[in-house]
Amino acid sequence: MVELKNIIKTFEVNKNHSVKALENINLNFKEGEVVVLKGASGSGKSTILSLIAALLRPTSGEVIVDGKQISKLSDDFASIYRRDNIGFIFQKYNLIPNLSVEDNILLPLVPLNLSNADVKAKLEYVMNKFHINHKNGVSVKNLSGGEQQRVAIARSYINNPKIILADEPTANLDKELSLNFIDIMRELKSLNKTIIIATHDPLFFGLEFVDREIEIANGVVLG
Amino acid sequence: MKNINLYLIEFALNSIIRHKYKNIFISVIFTLLVFLLSSAFFITNSIKYQLSQSVDALPQIIVQNMKAGRHYDIDLSVVDEILTLPGVEDVNARIWGYYYFEYADVYFTLLGLDEFESQYKQTLSKMIKNFDFAEDNMYLGNGVKRVLEGSYYKEFFNFIKPDGSVKQINIAGVFDSDLELESNDMIIMSKENLREIFALDESKATDIVVKVSNPLEIDTIAFKIKEIIPTAKITTNENIHVSYENMFNYKGGVFLALFVITIFTFFIILYDKASGLSSEEKKEIGILKAIGWRVSDVLGEKFYESFIVSFFSYILGVSMALVFVYILNAPLFRDIFIGYSNLKPSFTLLFVLDIQTLFLVFLLSVPVYVASIIIPSWRIATLEADEVMR
Repeated sequence: MVELKNIIKTFEVNKNHSVKALENINLNFKEGEVVVLKGASGSGKSTILSLIAALLRPTSGEVIVDGKQISKLSDDFASIYRRDNIGFIFQKYNLIPNLSVEDNILLPLVPLNLSNADVKAKLEYVMNKFHINHKNGVSVKNLSGGEQQRVAIARSYINNPKIILADEPTANLDKELSLNFIDIMRELKSLNKTIIIATHDPLFFGLEFVDREIEIANGVVLG
Repeated sequence: MKNINLYLIEFALNSIIRHKYKNIFISVIFTLLVFLLSSAFFITNSIKYQLSQSVDALPQIIVQNMKAGRHYDIDLSVVDEILTLPGVEDVNARIWGYYYFEYADVYFTLLGLDEFESQYKQTLSKMIKNFDFAEDNMYLGNGVKRVLEGSYYKEFFNFIKPDGSVKQINIAGVFDSDLELESNDMIIMSKENLREIFALDESKATDIVVKVSNPLEIDTIAFKIKEIIPTAKITTNENIHVSYENMFNYKGGVFLALFVITIFTFFIILYDKASGLSSEEKKEIGILKAIGWRVSDVLGEKFYESFIVSFFSYILGVSMALVFVYILNAPLFRDIFIGYSNLKPSFTLLFVLDIQTLFLVFLLSVPVYVASIIIPSWRIATLEADEVMR
């Protein structure tokens, strides 16, 4: 379903200096598979997620999703690809402060101009699913870290994406909330979603529903 | 309505509220800018309209005697000669001049009228019907009345004649004119009294006005009068129209030059405030891109956001200008345009609403502001979302 072929990604710091984030990465992710990308900070895990989400373009190599090369999509098509296929859970949630819970969750639907009934149904579904319906109308800045993360998950899920990407999802959570997150991922796995989690949190290692763990170090796949 | 994305508009409104302090600041400056610009245009339009009306009421041809390059009294004997010219309908010898009232440091315009002579101007004909010149009476414009009352002249006024003696004239009333711009500093009395005040000989007049049957022949007749009196200065109403316009445009031009500088300064402040996207706003664009918004979606939202703020400010600014100019009569502001007399006219600015003017103000404000928001947002939105969010 997702294939990374000979990926090299270099970031230019300035004209004379660049940093190689990924070095000849080759990875495959199957439909419905849960994969944990583990490694220290700066190892290149987040860059891999960004490439799959078409938030970044590789310096060289190909990112292929469902047989389509998404690394060469134009900016607009990359946005449409993300909207239709990707649910991204960011490390710092990337919610819009001062917006209410439901306004944040609905953000991906705004450009679609759906009917009121459709929007309402989708909103109700994800708010119930991720247990945040009691926070209706509350500004996200007034939520706890765990609640903010559930809003972020609901937002990533509202378009019913095939692929869920989670970047250091438990970095800002305590153990209990982290276990809650793991439960949510387990539930999403049961819905046949492809889930790729970039983390260095040991809580994710050796989980029964995780199909594979891939270690990344210094931009290289170790195994 | 199906194509209008109401969710996008709702999000734009939300965004305005979320950045309320910035938007309030922008809105205040923008409203002020539109208010100043609209006020200037409204006053200009109104005064131009009044001037054109007043110029239309001017005599078709004025004949003035010149001596040493200055306007001098004209001999009444030429009246009959001009009357013989084919196409001339009427000739009227005018007595008028200025009187310096030292106490208030102002000049009055004095005009002499005869009860039985035909007037070149309809407003004068109407006035004279109600006037009684029999007993050394005079009628005052509103501005003159105010000045004289301020100097305790409520029933009469003593004019000092060139020989130093005094001529007392009774104040019989005040006349109103719909064109107060021209009548505010005016005093009307009998020609006889005015001759006495100015020490003007019976055989002389200040100038001569000529009425022509066919307005298309004005220039031809002006040329023929010049042949009769080669030393005279012949002025047609078209000449006056042009010189009025020049004078007004000069004043307006100086004002507009200063005004453009002010507007430019305002826009620099606005641009700086509006286009300098904060890191929070940049990150927001990055988040929207990351969750599937296209560049056009981001720009659409920014368009609504900037349009709502600027259009609201535009409507507010124009409304304030309408109230300021046409209801409050533009205090302070209009003096910039009409300050050619030291007796400030108290006239009311006539309501002249020109759609082109409103459209011009709109073009000078709203699209410029919208562009100042869209361009920097476009620059950010076309970057890679990951880069923007970092």
